[in-house]
Amino acid sequence: MSEAPWSLHLLSEVLAAFTVQSPNALRDVVSRVAEAVDAEITAIVRHGSFLLCVGLDEHDKPSLAAAAEERAPELVLGGVVLHLYWAPLEEGDAMVVGRFREQYSLEERALLRAMARSIQLSTQVLAAVKAEQEALRAEKEAKNLAIREATIDALTGLPNRRCLLAYLADRLAHPSGRSAQLGLLFVDLDRFKHINDVYGHGTGDAYLQAIGQALAQWRDQDTFVARLAGDEFVVVAGVDQPELLNELAERILKCLDQPWLIGGRTLHYSASIGLAVADPGDRPQDLLDKADLAMYSIKQAGPGRYACFEPSMQQQARRKAELEAEIRQALRLGEFTTFFQPIVSAVHSGVVGFEGLARWRHPHRGLVDPDGFIEVAEEAGLLRELDARILRDGCFSLAGWNSVQQGFSPRLSINLSAASLVDPALVGRVTKVLAESGFDGRNLLLEVTETSLVTDVERAHRNIVDLNRLGVRLAVDDFGTGYSSLRYLRQFPVGMLKIDRSFVSGLGHDHDDEVIVETIIRMAASLGIQVVAEGVETASQQTILRQLGCDYLQGYLLGRPGNCSTSEGVFERSELRLLQLGGDAF
Amino acid sequence: MSVSAPAVNPTQFATDRWIKVGSSTNPEAELAVQESLDPILERGQPKLAIIFCSPAFNLAEVSKRVKAAVGDGEVIGCSTAGELVRNLPMNGGLLIWALGGDGFAVTTGVGLGDPHAGLRDAAQEAARCLNQLERKEHTLLFLLADGLCGDQMEVVRGAYDVSGANVPLMGGCAGDDMALQSTQQIHSGELLTHAVVAAAITSNAPMAIGIAHGWEPLSEAMLVTRSGGTTLESLDDRPALDVYLDAYDAPAEVREHPEAFFDFAHTRPIGIARRNRIEIRYVYGADFEKRSLTIFAEVPQGAMAYLMQGSSTSVLNATSDVCAQAEEALGGQPAQGFMLLECVARKSLLSKEGLLQESLRLPAVREGVTVGGFYTYGEIARTEGSGGLHNQTVVALALA
Repeated sequence: MSEAPWSLHLLSEVLAAFTVQSPNALRDVVSRVAEAVDAEITAIVRHGSFLLCVGLDEHDKPSLAAAAEERAPELVLGGVVLHLYWAPLEEGDAMVVGRFREQYSLEERALLRAMARSIQLSTQVLAAVKAEQEALRAEKEAKNLAIREATIDALTGLPNRRCLLAYLADRLAHPSGRSAQLGLLFVDLDRFKHINDVYGHGTGDAYLQAIGQALAQWRDQDTFVARLAGDEFVVVAGVDQPELLNELAERILKCLDQPWLIGGRTLHYSASIGLAVADPGDRPQDLLDKADLAMYSIKQAGPGRYACFEPSMQQQARRKAELEAEIRQALRLGEFTTFFQPIVSAVHSGVVGFEGLARWRHPHRGLVDPDGFIEVAEEAGLLRELDARILRDGCFSLAGWNSVQQGFSPRLSINLSAASLVDPALVGRVTKVLAESGFDGRNLLLEVTETSLVTDVERAHRNIVDLNRLGVRLAVDDFGTGYSSLRYLRQFPVGMLKIDRSFVSGLGHDHDDEVIVETIIRMAASLGIQVVAEGVETASQQTILRQLGCDYLQGYLLGRPGNCSTSEGVFERSELRLLQLGGDAF
Repeated sequence: MSVSAPAVNPTQFATDRWIKVGSSTNPEAELAVQESLDPILERGQPKLAIIFCSPAFNLAEVSKRVKAAVGDGEVIGCSTAGELVRNLPMNGGLLIWALGGDGFAVTTGVGLGDPHAGLRDAAQEAARCLNQLERKEHTLLFLLADGLCGDQMEVVRGAYDVSGANVPLMGGCAGDDMALQSTQQIHSGELLTHAVVAAAITSNAPMAIGIAHGWEPLSEAMLVTRSGGTTLESLDDRPALDVYLDAYDAPAEVREHPEAFFDFAHTRPIGIARRNRIEIRYVYGADFEKRSLTIFAEVPQGAMAYLMQGSSTSVLNATSDVCAQAEEALGGQPAQGFMLLECVARKSLLSKEGLLQESLRLPAVREGVTVGGFYTYGEIARTEGSGGLHNQTVVALALA
């Protein structure tokens, strides 16, 4: 058998060890150099320090570093001579190998020089390759980041709408192999806008993050959680039985309906959930829309509930969409008109003013009262426009009545929606209407609900104070049915309270209602606020209210809402009586 | 080559160091542990107990029982492919090798790796137990590694990164009775896999290592033209499996059936040319589609390789040689005990009678000298240079 030259194949072995695949390529090569020549130590010395060192502990490294300065041929370690060979690298660097027992032969020294040179060249190549790989890696990372940003919601870290739709598309396209049914839970936080309005958007964001984290606990192989937008989250879950989706919805509602400590504040809000199960042929958006509809439907019934999608919801939604379109058209065509219901003095029954009420002269359905359009108009954001129409119509109508010229102006109450109350353009709009119509602002009362006062307290307060400067007063409508907080009666310049018809209807046969009405009247009197009782329909109610000291009455007993000319007649007849009785301070 | 035992009087043994071995083939773990520990605990509380245990046992139970019995003593160990005791090689048994006395001090360490990353970092971690050791005159690092977790060479490299040139390395790769599925390691009563466990042993007397394999080249030298990790793809630019089968003139069955190949390759290792020796690598499988060989440890690309051959005589001689080598390196002091680690594949060259002969050749022929060890999936013995991973080899540790 022929003897092969050992040095050449060792060189080839060392060179073959270079790979760009391993992050430890140089370390591996240096280990192989040591193994190839039976060296106990191998090191690469660069600028006087060790780039790599095999076989020497920290205790002995300084000795080798000292030997490096003069390229010493040997070093005593632990009482034993270590024979060194310094194979030069560029710029004064070197690869050093050390071996006990034998010095390095000429062949070995030649081999080591060749190895050192090869290592140096290979290292340079590796560095170039590494730089290229680094650039590729950076590009890949940038790409991954872009993908992440495009698919992950930055606030909560949850998948976003785009990612959700892609996930749904995949699950709907490959229904087999996983759970029998795919359900989607559309989670919408109740009154989230209130958090932003009252505590600021920073708190709102922190709350959303907390909710996102809470929902993320349901993530697993078969359950996907995403943030759709704003306060809307989605949970997609595969289940074998649809009932399990109900259980999941209940668990989520329970989890979210608890106090959350956000930025030192305790926030306690509920959520509403719409639930839909995928039907064959459903596209991602179909499933999402169905759950959204279910959520929307249950939200109207009250907060903190869940509902499953039913096909009737779709019909309802369609009807609503058609109604919305009709309302928009009605606004454009001027189909909304103002009816006036008289408000009379409880003392002498003379008409002192009117409440302006919106009516829709529908081309096919006839006269439609607010119950038939207010809710949809509000959801569609059309109430500001409607409020403005009624205000303008009311002011112009009453300003033009003949009696005004005789020195008696009827007061006008107009309902103002929450959206109008916080509208920055409200004061300008009212100022313009008063100026153009010539209606005296001191005769104008704007009726708001208790709830609308707290929607955006700061902005509402600003508008009310500015309106007050025009002489316009604030009336709180449906008093007793909302927050009924005495605080805002002091906070806002409230001029009038309107007792809700639900209390008035109980007078004469419900002692509790009588107590409530009396309390409201007494409280208002002590605060210097006048009171109007709404929904007066019987003489008995009128008598009781009069006895309790109520200031004004409104209801069918005293006059139904009528159009402009009818109401003007009512006023003119009443005015004559007022003149006889000496007037009123409404 | 046979080596006659040096004339040593056991009464010369130091009293501040002792080495004891206990073993059992009782299938009940509790009884096996008790039988194995009895001769050891009779001598005293060990500083270190090393468990060599067949995977037939519940190793978790064994390790916990041993740890409980030895108290403050360190415990490491592994699963085996057979155990080596005086006069009788065992299969399916339990062997505990222990040392004690004030002349020894021991610390132990453990590192966890994984099949993808290999065991270099794990070996480094385990070897750091050296840093906690208050060293006496002679120090050695004993390693037991997962034999089926990547390139075994990485275990030596990782340990050497920490131990440096002044500390010899000795040890073996755990086995699983040739199931080649999963091996286990023991550290301080805990059962691990994909791990390296180590014991840093320091003594006031010499400890020395012997290495022998008894294999000779069958083929001409060939260049390893493509390899990576534990896969040898080509030799002299030909598919490694084809070169291998042709060179050994393998029968048709071996060329077609993995099980037949496995049995065939037991006794036909590959040798790698080093500066002044040939290191053996154990072929334990083949990929019949890719025509490559699977090796316990790396056959480096660019290296010069041989196909090796051996006989029962050469294997038996190696056993004798290794013990003599190790004892001679004790500088004239008598060996109190031996640790013998032998590649499982060497068993295949020996008949039952041969195995018995081998056990008789162990140094235990001298009364009072303890010997014990196990059949491994890879042997570690570094005495010079920085390499030290072997296959189909027998390595012996002699302790004065």
